[in-house]
Amino acid sequence: MISVSDAGLLLRDAPADVQVVSFDGRYIWAFTAPRDGRVVPGGLLVEWPPVLRRFLDGVVRVRIADVAGAQVLVDEEVVLGDGAAGPDGARIEVVDAQGYPLAVDKVGHLCRAFDDTEDGVRAEILAGTRRALDDLRGACGVEAYLNYGALLGAVRDGAMIAHDSDTDVCYLSRHTSPADIILESYAIQRTMKKLGWTLLRMSGGDIKILLPLSDGRLCHIDIFVAFRVDGTFYQLGNRSGRLPDSAILPVSTITLHGVEFPAPADPEAMLEFIYGPQWRVPDPSFKYADPVRGVRRLDGWLRGFRTDMGRWTEFHQGPGRGLSKNRRSTFAKWVDGQLPRGDGVADLGCGTGRDALWFARRGRPVIAFDFSRAARAAVIRSARRRRVHVEVRALILNELRTVLVSGAELARDPHHLTARHLLGCLDDRARDQLWLLCRMALRGGGKLFLEFSAEVGAAAPEPAPEGLVRRLDPAVVRREIEAAGGVVERERVRAGTDVLGNPDPTVCRMRVHWARPASPDLQRKS
Amino acid sequence: MNSEVMTSPLVARARTRARIARDRYRRFRRRPLGVHARLAALEEELQESRQLNRRIAELTDVVAELLVLVDDRDEERVREVLAQYRASF
Repeated sequence: MISVSDAGLLLRDAPADVQVVSFDGRYIWAFTAPRDGRVVPGGLLVEWPPVLRRFLDGVVRVRIADVAGAQVLVDEEVVLGDGAAGPDGARIEVVDAQGYPLAVDKVGHLCRAFDDTEDGVRAEILAGTRRALDDLRGACGVEAYLNYGALLGAVRDGAMIAHDSDTDVCYLSRHTSPADIILESYAIQRTMKKLGWTLLRMSGGDIKILLPLSDGRLCHIDIFVAFRVDGTFYQLGNRSGRLPDSAILPVSTITLHGVEFPAPADPEAMLEFIYGPQWRVPDPSFKYADPVRGVRRLDGWLRGFRTDMGRWTEFHQGPGRGLSKNRRSTFAKWVDGQLPRGDGVADLGCGTGRDALWFARRGRPVIAFDFSRAARAAVIRSARRRRVHVEVRALILNELRTVLVSGAELARDPHHLTARHLLGCLDDRARDQLWLLCRMALRGGGKLFLEFSAEVGAAAPEPAPEGLVRRLDPAVVRREIEAAGGVVERERVRAGTDVLGNPDPTVCRMRVHWARPASPDLQRKS
Repeated sequence: MNSEVMTSPLVARARTRARIARDRYRRFRRRPLGVHARLAALEEELQESRQLNRRIAELTDVVAELLVLVDDRDEERVREVLAQYRASF
């Protein structure tokens, strides 16, 4: 007996096997009650996955059954939320912006499953994956092979798994030092980019190919590194453990929907390493149980420069969406009043760019930097719509490469720097690298203008967006700037606003310059 | 007469032993907490040193891809190389 409510699925008797949840006859999600549920009065509650919650307002026919569909636990019309706000009148539809149906994948993300993909589009995905593997093995010169869901589907029945959503490829690196492994991944990204692929770096050992499909979607093909350090085998996402090289090399060949792919030498051994000894039994609710030590090592070696990227994307696509339509901030006006007409401004952490666009409309050359792709895309759209020129560039302050290249660019093309509510979004390392960038960019003159939510003793509310921005002590900021060679010319704390325009009782503004470095000749004389 | 004189060597030895036992007990009580704290600090420091791998890779990449060419001192070429490098990530 199961009752379906806004809280989730309350099971009086929890079945041990996998349960598949369908909405109006379409696959949505799968769970295993003993693993995913928690004991509450009346039974075991399996909560809705967080990514589904925003859709759960309306009426829908919920069916819960085992994988084979033989044992049906529930098949009934259910009202969720206030039951009136479904996109199709009052009907709940879990779909993307283009109306394509979505499902929850094994890492809890929403994705489009292969069983909802037309044959023609599936052929495009397969051809794209094959081409990527050919380029990796050919131009990049690495031992690349098909892996994960696509390999599992190929070995089990020569076809994609119905509830899978993308394809993953791996390559076995010969390097055993994480720094060399990252450098190799950078080189692969450069080569693949030259070959015309659109790529996104996810970590020091994971690049994502964004493959455009004829139905308007982007298919993601992950290129994961696999390597060995001190005898332990690591394979991104987060796998680690024991797997001999002989399970991978020399690569074999496997057929998926009639297309041949390079595969590990012993696909069964690889699948057992990834999915455990039960890999032959279909389990749409499968979740990885990665060794904690391995995950910690991989986090330390390869990750840490895009920790809040997903949450910023959600912010820019959600509550932050309309911000570019807002009037420029009072900070921008304050900055503008202090700069000679026509001087350029580089807006660091520009968000959706309302200040950057305003500076451009005032006739200033503007470079808008942000680490969020969603934010940069919003600035480009707004600039196009308003017919103003703003140069938009990526800046990831936790990634030294973008910091150094941005510093070098700005040293050659001087701009004043502005950073409104950027400091509160950064960790200590990123703030250090921001001061490094400022030192490089302002070595020939120019000012840095800062605004941030200040922590000045009195309890003040946390600035929005919650969890992404925090208050900083102006004395700490001043000390950091001075340690990096900067001089704080002006500092004041007054009432202002946070990123979303909410009143903030203590906002600090600073104007900073960096002393010109002595010329090499002078240094030599002294 | 002071208490020293009043205390027999046997009692003094017993007191010393008691003091040692108390000290050992205190240290035993303290140690698990100390070890946990030290372990946490060690883990944090180890993680910091792991993070140097990415920093080394980033620096090496910049040096290998840019600095050699920047040394050419051909400003136009430098701008071009910077733009190419930015486009590569």
